[in-house]
Amino acid sequence: MVKIKDIIVGQVIRNEFDQITRELVKKYSKLGGFAKLASNPIHDNDDEAKKAGHKGVIAHGLFSFGFITKLFDDFIEKEKYGKLIKIGVEMRHPVRCGDLLVTEAIVNKIKGKRVYFDVIQKSITKIRIEINGKVIKQFEAGERGYISEKDYARGYIKRKETDEGSLYFRERINSPGYAVVELFD
Amino acid sequence: MRPEEIKKNADFLIKTLPGMEIPGIVKFRCKYKHMVEFAKCFGINDPLYVGPKENGIIACPAFANAFSAKLYVNMAQIILHQDGKQRGLVMDFKKLLHAANEYNWEDCVKIKAGDILTIKGQIGKVWVNKEMRLFGEIFQTIRNQTGDLVCKVKSVATIAPGGY
Repeated sequence: MVKIKDIIVGQVIRNEFDQITRELVKKYSKLGGFAKLASNPIHDNDDEAKKAGHKGVIAHGLFSFGFITKLFDDFIEKEKYGKLIKIGVEMRHPVRCGDLLVTEAIVNKIKGKRVYFDVIQKSITKIRIEINGKVIKQFEAGERGYISEKDYARGYIKRKETDEGSLYFRERINSPGYAVVELFD
Repeated sequence: MRPEEIKKNADFLIKTLPGMEIPGIVKFRCKYKHMVEFAKCFGINDPLYVGPKENGIIACPAFANAFSAKLYVNMAQIILHQDGKQRGLVMDFKKLLHAANEYNWEDCVKIKAGDILTIKGQIGKVWVNKEMRLFGEIFQTIRNQTGDLVCKVKSVATIAPGGY
């Protein structure tokens, strides 16, 4: 149950999705209203995506935006406890197949029955696993060169120790945004 | 495309596009199967959105992605006259991307399977950044068959140099 009296500034809601595959992105191309534009081939054809400078297919900006919409819809339990008023995002970086998509929203203001959120959607892209400095496994991002010097310079590349070895991954905000929901009670 | 040609095209579009009504009115039929399959792309399994047809499902909020994208088909058909020659608005669709999107559902009604939506659009501000990437605002108003508002959409599209 979600009630306005229980909401506090700083409260965080979150979802994750790790099933972004080429098949799903292709399916979304057909269902997302793009069919008559023959879709943009950067979403389902690696060669065309490379020609456009993307080094491989990227997911539709609206596809990842859909998970932000879902986060708020889940929060109000499909209008059981409130309604969506407004959701907006910037699409700063593309999301790729295999990425883990993490969407977080933080309450920044409460006014009447309206709750205002800051939204951050991050994509986490696995690059490689190393043991003692030797690469033992490359992921698609490592093989295809999705990672740029800018990613290192901006501090997006991180390391995490796993059972297999040191996992290097890129973590960056693909879509910052905002949302307003109105609670009923 | 040469830098001077990119600059000339950008200047032309910045002058020509703002305030332009997007030609034609898009009609979008909300089919039960489409609504269900679309919701499932996001792992949605709530019967409110993906239940049996006879239960009278409504569209999940993300379905706005599907109908708002339809207007881009009409945008692709915009013909402009530059220096006495005809040209399309977008010259290379591979260079076209979404840069921002906002859905506003204030005072809107839900979308039901079988609804027929009418979508009208207008172009807002148009500008380039220092890398000569072109940006343009697109405002859409979407109503159902009884004239009720179902969503207002503001998007920003961007085209890389050479694509406009």
